[in-house]
Amino acid sequence: MDVAQALVMGMQTWGIVGALVAAVFLTIGIDRIDEDARGAYAFRPLLIPAVLLIWPIILWRWWQIESERAAWAARYRAVRAPYGLAVCLMSIGIVVIVFTGLSVRQTWPAGIAPVQLTKGASQ
Amino acid sequence: MSEKPFFVGYLPAPGPLRMFLLAACVLLIAGLGTAGYLMGAAQDDPGPGAFRFDYGRQTVTGVIEMTPYPVLHVVEGNDRIMPGDSFMMTAAGKSGVDSRAMPLNGQLAQVSGIVLERGDLYMMQLRGGRNGLRAAEGDVPEIPTEPQGRWQLSGEICDGKCLAGAMRPGRGLAHKACANLCLLGDVPPIFVSTQPVLGSEFLLITGPGGTRLPRAAYDYVAQFITAEGEITKRGDLLVWEIDTDTIEVTE
Repeated sequence: MDVAQALVMGMQTWGIVGALVAAVFLTIGIDRIDEDARGAYAFRPLLIPAVLLIWPIILWRWWQIESERAAWAARYRAVRAPYGLAVCLMSIGIVVIVFTGLSVRQTWPAGIAPVQLTKGASQ
Repeated sequence: MSEKPFFVGYLPAPGPLRMFLLAACVLLIAGLGTAGYLMGAAQDDPGPGAFRFDYGRQTVTGVIEMTPYPVLHVVEGNDRIMPGDSFMMTAAGKSGVDSRAMPLNGQLAQVSGIVLERGDLYMMQLRGGRNGLRAAEGDVPEIPTEPQGRWQLSGEICDGKCLAGAMRPGRGLAHKACANLCLLGDVPPIFVSTQPVLGSEFLLITGPGGTRLPRAAYDYVAQFITAEGEITKRGDLLVWEIDTDTIEVTE
């Protein structure tokens, strides 16, 4: 398996797990942890793309609230502290990816001349 | 009550925040501008390829040859396309004209379309249906086929249409996915050699024995490679039968 296949397989696996989490969370989980969502269904399909992407956070928050490990008010407070770190890491990551891409790309092998290995019948 | 300054959109910015906001604005605009300039400057020159709509619609007559990619060897040209020239053909979008050209293989045909041109390389995007390609009356001249031996070449596999000018850039890694889609759609593949081979830096590529470009070669499209294969001059066009077992990515 080469790098491209591994990347595609990784993304497919992430998406499949995300779809399973979305199916379970949006039909069962959300009713259990958010009483305001009970009986409301129209908005749930709108959450599917986000759940596909950030399903680990969904599962973690679900577990925190379901098991009452988080403080009572925590469920209403956005997870802001790690956001700053994430923003910094993503910003640095973008720059690193761009410069790595530019630095490891091939250079046009202008110095390699064509070589005739055998003569043709018409020569 | 906190003395920390607080910005409200409909009120003047608090004094301590003004310098911060000004600096943030300047850095953001300058930073994005600089990043855009640096990324643009780091890109390779896309080259001079382009659709030549300024030439107008071109109509010529010649002999169709499936190499297995369709090539027209011009018999009756015009003021831009000379008799004796050989050029590749494509349809609109990411598709070739194989299905239309195959029944006319070895026969005289009239083709009509728009020229794509990049230096010495040119090909024609044919009009749809019989307006673009139809049988013509007349004697069919013999097209010379001259084996030129086995060569080791370095360069890049591209799709002929984008390289000739349908896209800018029409080559390179940024264009790899587009190139592979074009090749899957039967657009003729072209090899760009680092240096001219027998007078040309562009060669039509096929598989060994005049077969289509093997799928194994698709993985190397848009990368700089070295490979070996037999070159044959068909009419005015060099055709390289690439041996995929010899492909190596250059450093």
